[in-house]
Amino acid sequence: MKGFIPLLRKEIQEQLKLYRLVIVGGIFVFFGISDPIMLKYLPEILKMAGSGQMVIQLPTTTAAQSLAEYAGNIGQIGALIAVLVAMGCIANELKSGTAVMTLSKPVSRSAFVTAKLLAMSMTFLVSMILGSLFCFGYTVWLIHGSVVMPFIGLNLLLGLFLVFCLAVTLFFSSMYKSGLAAGGLAIGVVIVQAIISSIPIIGNFMPGKLLSWGTDLLTGTGTGYWWALGITVVAIGLCLYFAQRFLKNRDL
Amino acid sequence: MTAIDVRGLSKYYGPVKALDNLNLEVPENAVFGFLGPNGAGKTTTIKLLTGFARPTAGEARVAGEKVGDGNLGLQVKIGLLPDVPAFYDWMTGREFMQFVGELHHLTPDDIKKRTEELLELVELKKAGNRRVGGYSRGMRQRLGIAQALINRPKVLFLDEPTSALDPIGRREVLKLILRLKENTTIFMSSHILSDVERVCSMVGIINKGKLITVSSVEALQKKYARSVFEMEFMEDAGQFVESLKKIPWLAEPAIVVDNGTPQVKVRALDIDRARKELPRVIGESGLTLTRYELSLPSIEDIFVEILTNGEKK
Repeated sequence: MKGFIPLLRKEIQEQLKLYRLVIVGGIFVFFGISDPIMLKYLPEILKMAGSGQMVIQLPTTTAAQSLAEYAGNIGQIGALIAVLVAMGCIANELKSGTAVMTLSKPVSRSAFVTAKLLAMSMTFLVSMILGSLFCFGYTVWLIHGSVVMPFIGLNLLLGLFLVFCLAVTLFFSSMYKSGLAAGGLAIGVVIVQAIISSIPIIGNFMPGKLLSWGTDLLTGTGTGYWWALGITVVAIGLCLYFAQRFLKNRDL
Repeated sequence: MTAIDVRGLSKYYGPVKALDNLNLEVPENAVFGFLGPNGAGKTTTIKLLTGFARPTAGEARVAGEKVGDGNLGLQVKIGLLPDVPAFYDWMTGREFMQFVGELHHLTPDDIKKRTEELLELVELKKAGNRRVGGYSRGMRQRLGIAQALINRPKVLFLDEPTSALDPIGRREVLKLILRLKENTTIFMSSHILSDVERVCSMVGIINKGKLITVSSVEALQKKYARSVFEMEFMEDAGQFVESLKKIPWLAEPAIVVDNGTPQVKVRALDIDRARKELPRVIGESGLTLTRYELSLPSIEDIFVEILTNGEKK
């Protein structure tokens, strides 16, 4: 991991200077605010839309529902953003030639890819903390009630799932000089694993199951999908390993 | 001591032989010019020697370090200016130098010192705090040279170092290369043959992946010396040219105006006899001789001749 610290510092600076943290953080905060508001005022919006001619009875919104709604949105939109953020991370450097410039210094390929994943993960971590704080605050304020520990657990599982999406995209980004190709393949993998995760038994081993587990934590139902957790961690490690292998074995 | 030692290095892309069985030794502190037309294999060679491409066959050592297999010891000892140097455009020139200094594990004091020295050297000190994204092509090229030097490399690879520069920038870079050769071996590829002639002590000519010749510039010029004598006189040499036409071991005498100065050029059919007897013929003409030389071919002449007719045996 030679050269890891300066590379990580450079990657973090890049996240800030190219406004990635601001953009990703902004989107997460948007969902953190809008989801509790939508749930709170949805009955009134429907009442106004119906002009009093039709009455739709909605169950009383709970804090768990509000937080689960936020988690659901972040699970989908966050995964898409993760792919968009990571798809060019290596491919663009290979295409522009900056990878050659950096790797002509005594820097290991593993440090090069790990620093990228860590910096992107930090962007998502900070964004998730911000989004979650806003969501939690608005939920307590508008809907009343809170589920602190399950919400923290949900965020940890959600965060791990997003790191998985980043790692898969980074892996494909090391294979192609086109960010678009890397992004397309990564979205394909995320969709396929989401479909498989809805299939009984085999689905329990998919990273996507972490999202169901997180929601179950809020409602206090279901059991832990520990296999899915383990497989996600291993998959992230494998993506990193093969990304640096690809970089080592290819002509730059 | 050999700075670059290449044995049987080949790189094939399917049926295409980008580099075919390259054998080469470059001594320490040489400025080696690597010449060849587009697609000859120059950039492929530099990529192979800097560890950015995997050879199909053969091996190489640079500054005593084995090339390939992820040997980071090689990167410690070399500097590289790629053909199109690329930078993180959001960084300033000074930030980029700091970044590469950190990658080389230099101390903070050394990084600061080297950054200022090198930015001064490539005349980017004033622009050092501007974003690289706003640099011109020439400025990027100069920053590329500066970053390649930050670790005081033993071997410096320069891929077309002067191609993007204006005449003044080119002259500065060539001066810099001449200064660097005291402590560094330089391996440069170039299309600009006059630049190679100015700074290189050795040249290699490559075509279609095959190294055609390697030699010192002087030895090449001797080998490819054309048997053309050039003379300049204070007086009109019209009569003299007419007299040369009658000499059987000379051919094609003519007056050629070069840079406003009339010169007499004549080709020797028997070079040894011409060397011995032409001075006597000139003496007998009664003209005042101001210049007399057996013309040496430029690197460009040699390059064109080798690529057209192959290497002279």
